[in-house]
This record gives sequence, C-alpha cells and structure tokens, in this order.
Amino acid sequence: MGSNLFPTQEIGSLPKAPWLLSYLRSKNLDQADFDHLEKWSETSKFEGKQEALNILSQPKTKEKEQRLRELASLFGIRFLESSGLDIVYDGESNRIEMYEHAIRNANGFEFYGRVRSFDNRYYRKAACVQKVGFRVPYHLNEFKYVAKHAKKEVKVPITGPYTLAEWSFNEYYQQKRMGKGNDLRTIKQEAKREFLLDIANELLRPNMDSLVQAGARWIQIDEPALATRPEDVPLFVEAFNECTRGVNCKLSVHICYSNYQSLYPHILDLKNCSQFALEFANRDTSRQSAYEQLRLMKDSGDTREIGLGVVDVHVNTIEEPKVVMERILEAAKFIDPAKIYVNPDCGLRTRPWNVTYSKLRNMVAGADLARKSLGD
Amino acid sequence: MYEVHLTGNFPRPEPLIDVSRQFDRGRTGENDLEEQLTSSTRALIELQITNGLDMLVDGQLSWQDLFRPLSELFYGIEAGTLTRWFDNNTFYRVPIVHGKVRRSEVAVAKYYRHDLMPTSRRCKAIMPGPYTFAKLSENTAYASFADLVDDLAHSLADLSRELIESGCKFIQFNEPSLCTATAEELKIAKHGFELLAKNSAKTMVQTYFGDVSRIIDELLDFPVTCIGVDLYANDIDTISKYSFSHELSCGCVDGRNSLIEPPEQIVELMTKVRNEIEPHQLYLGPNCDLEFLPYPVAEKKVNLLGDVRRRLNGQ
Repeated sequence: MGSNLFPTQEIGSLPKAPWLLSYLRSKNLDQADFDHLEKWSETSKFEGKQEALNILSQPKTKEKEQRLRELASLFGIRFLESSGLDIVYDGESNRIEMYEHAIRNANGFEFYGRVRSFDNRYYRKAACVQKVGFRVPYHLNEFKYVAKHAKKEVKVPITGPYTLAEWSFNEYYQQKRMGKGNDLRTIKQEAKREFLLDIANELLRPNMDSLVQAGARWIQIDEPALATRPEDVPLFVEAFNECTRGVNCKLSVHICYSNYQSLYPHILDLKNCSQFALEFANRDTSRQSAYEQLRLMKDSGDTREIGLGVVDVHVNTIEEPKVVMERILEAAKFIDPAKIYVNPDCGLRTRPWNVTYSKLRNMVAGADLARKSLGD
Repeated sequence: MYEVHLTGNFPRPEPLIDVSRQFDRGRTGENDLEEQLTSSTRALIELQITNGLDMLVDGQLSWQDLFRPLSELFYGIEAGTLTRWFDNNTFYRVPIVHGKVRRSEVAVAKYYRHDLMPTSRRCKAIMPGPYTFAKLSENTAYASFADLVDDLAHSLADLSRELIESGCKFIQFNEPSLCTATAEELKIAKHGFELLAKNSAKTMVQTYFGDVSRIIDELLDFPVTCIGVDLYANDIDTISKYSFSHELSCGCVDGRNSLIEPPEQIVELMTKVRNEIEPHQLYLGPNCDLEFLPYPVAEKKVNLLGDVRRRLNGQ
C-alpha cells in the first residue's frame, strides 16, 4: 500500500462568506462579519484579509465588487486547502447556486417566479422557452482564477444536464410536439429527451471544452436530480455520453440521495466517466452499513473509482476520525482500496463554517488512520 | 355539459410567500399572515368565478403539504422528516402515526376556507385519501396497515361530514399512491372508501403521477362518484377501452409544466374522451396540484381552463 491511498476531495459548495453577502446586498457589515473574516483568515492562512478589509470599508464600486468576489474565491481555496484536502476548488463561492448560476448564463430560459421546495422554502425555477444555447463559458473565469491560485490538485464541479433539465420547465420542446397525437405522456417524454440532449450538446459540452482548453484536468458532473425518476437513468446515461463526447480530461459524476440499485446496469454504459462520487454517510446506521451497497459495483464488475461519502452534510454532528476510518475500511471490503477517494456526501453549503471545517479536518484525519491501518 | 374544476393546492402569490417567510422569522405577526391568506384566497376564488369554473376550491394556501394540517386536525399524527413528493423536486413531511387516529377539536375552518365562498356556488374540499395517507406515513402505532387505513378513513369521514355541513357538495380524496398498489392493498383501499362513502356528498378519487391501467379494473369498483385520471401519465387509448359508470375527471392541463397548452388541442382531446368513453359526467382540470408552478403561470392555467370550458360548451 502506498501513501497515495484514499485521496481526499470536496464535492462542491461551501457556505457563502457572510462579509461577501453583506457587501453584495449593500448591508452594513456587523461585528460577526468581521469576526468571521478574522478567524478564518488566520486558520486558513488567507493572504487577502487586509485587502478584503480595505474593500469592505470603502463605498461599493463595480471594480471593488469584482475584486472582493475574487478574494472570496481565494478565501474558499485556502479554507479547503488548510483543512488538509488533496483535491480542491473554491467552494463555488461566486455561484448563485448550482442550478440558477448555469441557467442564468445560458440562452433559452426565462424565470417566472418561485415554486415551493418544502414548508416556506422556495426556489426560482426557469422555463425553457427557446432552443437551449450557449451564451458564455460560465465557469471559465472562475476556473482560471482557481487554477492560478490553488496549491493543490483542482477539480471543477459543474451541474449536469439531467439536473438542469429536471429542475426546469420544458415549454419549447413540448410545444413543438403538441398536437402530434393524443398521448400526452409520450409527448412529454420525447420532449424531455430532446431538451436534455440539447442541454448536453449545446450548453454543457461547449462549457466543458472551454474549461479543458484553459487547462482543466478534472471535471465533476453533479447530478443530484437523478434520484427523482429512476426510469430516467438511461436518459441520463445518453445525455452524459453526449456532453462528455471528445472532452479530454478526467470526468467523474456526483450522485446523491438516490436509489443506487436503479443506476445499474445502465451506468455501466457511461463511456467517459472514471469515478462515481456518491453519498453514503447519510444512510449509514448502526443497523445497516450503507457501504454494503458497494457490492452493486463489485457484482457488476464496475472497476471505476469511487468517491466515498463518509461525512453527512445534513447534520452538525462532527464525525470522529475513527468513524471515517471504519467507513473507508468497510468500503474497502468491496472496492479495491487504490480506487477509493474520500469526500463528504455532498456540498457543505448548508453547514456553519466551524462545522464544515471540523468535518473536513476529521475526514482527512480519518483517511490517514485508514491508510495507516492498511500498513502505510 | 363539460364541467371544470381545480384538483389540488394552488401556489401562493408572491406577497403571501413573503409574509409567510417573514412570519417564520418572527418579523411579522399572525394577523398580517392571516390577512394576506384571506385576501389571497379571495383573489383565487374570484379568479375561478371569472373563468366560469363549476366547482370552487379554496386553494389550500395555508397548507405546507397534503398531510400537514391533518397532524392538527387529527389526533395520533405528527409531522416527521422531509421526503421527496413522488418524482418532484418538492418535499413533504412524513406523517408519523404515533397513536390512535381520530378527529381532534381543531376547527375545520382553520384549514378549509369555504366561509369565503359565495353560497350560490358549488364548492369542493380536497384531502388525502386514506390509502395514500397510510402508505406515505410512518406507522409506529398500528399492528396492521389495514387497521390504519380504516381509522384514517373514519377520521377523514368525520372531517368530510363537517365540510358537507359547511356547504361543500363534493369531496375529493387524493390517491396518487394507488397507481402502484398491490392487489391486496387495493382491497384495503376500497374498504377505506366504503367507510368514506357514507355521506351525502359526491366523492371523487383523484389519481395522479401514475398510470392507472394496471389498477383500473379494481378502481372502477370503488364506491365513489367520480374517478380522476392524470392524462400526462396515461394513454387515453388504454382508458378508452373501459366502460365508465362513474363520472370521469380528466387531468388535461399539466400542473408540472409552465407551457400553456393550446386550447384547441385540449378541446380536441376532451372531445375524443367524451366520444370514446361516454362518461356519465365529464370534468376537466389540471392533472395535479398547480402548486408546482409559479403563481402567475398557475393563473394562466386557470384562464386556459376557462377558455377551454367556453369552447367545449359552445359559449
């Protein structure tokens, strides 16, 4: 066993820096904002603290806002690096969120208003009203900045075609079919396929090409919506293969809160995917080990890497390094240890900063324990 | 005569969303929330009247999901963890059944605003059906699933009686889970509906998000006045092979897509349904709740239904 076992990675989002949010919303910064910047600058060895403080103390301008956004990105990079991770990004510090950021920078979509997610929580859902099109390489500047400043390996998380389609209304492609027969179910499904493939071909592949041309070596395609309709897994596979066709870098896919059984055997047909980063910790209980589900990969003869979710992103409880180690070793019963990467279940954006940091630190420590227990 | 109705929760208008969120954060009081709820409900009733809808609903604008108010209106139930609502990017709180289910003392008017309806108009109340309610609950109290369905049916029947006394002419029971029920479960569900049938109102079993072709033989034996089918989840040619002695409600306007369907195509589809199935009475409406849409889009869907109704009835 070598010391390169169990590389540690993040999945995507961090919480937004409160001082950045206050500035963007033109709110007066309070002491908590300054305390946050102070505390985490020191912990993360963030070199931009003084410059950030200067900007925060001055009237807002477009240039200053742009610079503060860059500093927030650097803050995210250093935060992740200082937690000990091997593979980092910037915590998606300048994306509105994973859906809206992509859709607002694409052609063909219009936002009509909010729809309920649950209780009194709502999200903005867009409608596709014209053929999907590429407008700008919406992750390019962000990636260039991260690549220039990161001291660790960089992985770019992007939102996948199935999630963008599933979280949007599909007007344009369905409208084209209305009136061609009375089977509304078939009309809707055919329209969905065309919508999905256009997102893959017209929007995502150009974006990924631009990232690769700028030097990206690893892109992670996030598909949280894949849990929604198990019967659509073949559609997802088709779209994934389309959007990654000819994209020359390492490609992985992140899926969470899903019935993994429904993924097989279809995802064996993913042509250009070398890693599945999956959520497990959330479903790991004292009664039932979640990691036994990796038997699915083993039994299917799937030899790809696994990004192993060992930290639950929905609770504030900090997993002890020993727990992390045990989860890794449990997974190693089913997967070649050399193929195991270690990560949180999903993005950590909903956790407080101190919880996020402690979880990542313990995850890194747990991976180290697992390495040692295997004789390294 | 084609009749038109809404079939589920209506989305909240933006001002109500804002007040609800402010209320959650303690930034506004209950009176403000109540005032906004009442004015929004009145506006929705007016929208239905303007468009000539035949049976009015209150839109259930205070409901967080299909089950939440029932954890207050019934004893024995509390709201649990968030879970995905079928194949939607929307979540509900799983009802936890922790004791014997029975109607509580909480006034029905807290969650059903039929007091705001003009007395001259027919109105409809919507609630979960006993099978879906039990199926999507976490049962920690009942020894058998059938017992739970029966007690839920008894409690829903009590609730229905109160709503009928307050002027409702039609009670709709939402049963999306029926489409995937086993043969044994269908028998249990049917028994639940037999318990519900003992009242004076018309009753409707509303299916959605699922294909009814597998269960349609059993469904046609349910003791209800009307059967609701989601035409975005079914092939109308399959349904047309069956003889309907029930009234039929067709979900022909998609509550899960913002596309405003061309009215002439809905007219053509409904004419085909009328000619081929010849139901005793044909209703049309959205295939499910409209709350999956932003409010302005849901308003347009109601306008579309009004337009289709006028065209179908030759007005």
